[in-house]
Amino acid sequence: MSKKLRIAIPIIVMAMLAVAYALHLPLGSLSNFGWETISVLCPLGALTTMLASKTLIPHALISLVIAVVAILLLGRAFCGWICPTPVLSRLRYAFTSKSKLKAKEEVAAAQDNAGQSSDKIELTDADRALLKSACRGHGSCASKGTLDSRHLVLGGTLLSAAIFGFPVFCLICPIGLTFATIVLLMLLFGVGDLTLGVIVAPIILLIEVVFFRKWCSHICPLSAIMSLVGKANRTFVPTIDDSKCLETSKGVACGKCSQVCEVKIDPRHPELGSHMSECIKCRACVEACPGHAISMPLIARAKKLEAGDVTEQ
Amino acid sequence: MSHEEKHGASSEKTYAGMTRRTLCLGAGGAAVMLAIGGVGAIPAQAVVRPPGGQDEGDFISKCIRCNECAEVCPHHIIRPAHLESGILNFRAPTLNFDNAYCDWCAEDNGGVPLCVEMCPTQALITPEGATFENTILGVAEINTTTCLAYRLTGCRDCVDACPLEAISLDSENRPVVDTALCNGCGACEAACVSLQAGSVVSSTDERAIKVRPVAKEA
Repeated sequence: MSKKLRIAIPIIVMAMLAVAYALHLPLGSLSNFGWETISVLCPLGALTTMLASKTLIPHALISLVIAVVAILLLGRAFCGWICPTPVLSRLRYAFTSKSKLKAKEEVAAAQDNAGQSSDKIELTDADRALLKSACRGHGSCASKGTLDSRHLVLGGTLLSAAIFGFPVFCLICPIGLTFATIVLLMLLFGVGDLTLGVIVAPIILLIEVVFFRKWCSHICPLSAIMSLVGKANRTFVPTIDDSKCLETSKGVACGKCSQVCEVKIDPRHPELGSHMSECIKCRACVEACPGHAISMPLIARAKKLEAGDVTEQ
Repeated sequence: MSHEEKHGASSEKTYAGMTRRTLCLGAGGAAVMLAIGGVGAIPAQAVVRPPGGQDEGDFISKCIRCNECAEVCPHHIIRPAHLESGILNFRAPTLNFDNAYCDWCAEDNGGVPLCVEMCPTQALITPEGATFENTILGVAEINTTTCLAYRLTGCRDCVDACPLEAISLDSENRPVVDTALCNGCGACEAACVSLQAGSVVSSTDERAIKVRPVAKEA
């Protein structure tokens, strides 16, 4: 259910924005969404324009505050539910036949299963404790908590804007390019506005989302902002009811929740996967759990996931 | 297989918490962002900007190409600039006077341009005391080979359209632009019929009167 919705919603949002553009309704775009002057600017756009122009822009500042609050409450939900990039990146499967895809998926699942189950059986409580303590001091696990390649790209983006004096990332932002492609196509067919851009914009976009498979998790500077601010997100966090979880209640190796997670979080053993701040709130784990043990409550009750304790050193 | 990879990764050397691969990807991405910044050094053509975008340096530093200005323009004359006019200009707003001109939203918003009002980053911002008359979007230029009046047809559409009376007729009833009065609003260009009526004219897709961006001061 969520899976289909997560494809439908970004398409509906884009279609809505396109219709608003065509009818000249002041709804803006994902770069500046709102009604007339009451709108929220893209947090990266807000940051880079202020850095590039070296001025404080009131609307940008307010938008930043709103964006931070939204990320604190919802984490990376934007990535999971609204951003068109993950939907567009499905185009990379456009030329693969459905049966082939399914076969591939099954192989991957089987491999995952094999790896997972052996993993679960080998680990004793002592092992787990060891792993956890190792993670705390060891650099290799820091990638789950501190910095990764996205943050370097974010740094490069901000630095470049400050040096060269214009919001550099806006030129290649896949979210902006998606809307630009729609607008350019509308202008081409609506008023015969022919430009090279109507071909170039979608080509850049496709290179980004199809060629760079790990755009969202490894490159996107917006995703970097969200994962950084999202470290303080404590709401809508996948929470496991231990009395229902097959692993804790019956001692069965399961691992379904970590298998279905797109961003490689392991809700059962948070120390083994990505940091919880990567969660895009897609509800895949909630829906996949065979014991219906996982929920995403507004505020988790006292017995929380250990994600926070592990990486918040 | 993935199981072994996991173990391999944990023993790999890391840099500031990143594996070498992640570090390379991140550094590469950051380098690309700096390289794209260098695109700004490639000279772009001057284009006619909406009101409030006349300080080109300030405008380019703030425009996020969100298209809000084009969306709210009541005359639908704001368009994303073409890639052909420069990479830096691509998707940033420019004015197209095919069907209408810029009247600073005189009727639609009491003389305050809606594009300026809606611009979220103040890329379009009118300085104190700026008015329709004293804000120079560009300057109209007459192409005397395609202008119908210069073939003595007696056409005076641009003269009648100009809200500032910046176009006058010379002794042979040919229009002449007074560049000191023209603010580049585009009313003349919107009214010009050279392309529709002057079927003899070939090798041009421009009207005989065209608003050109003001040459930038060096």
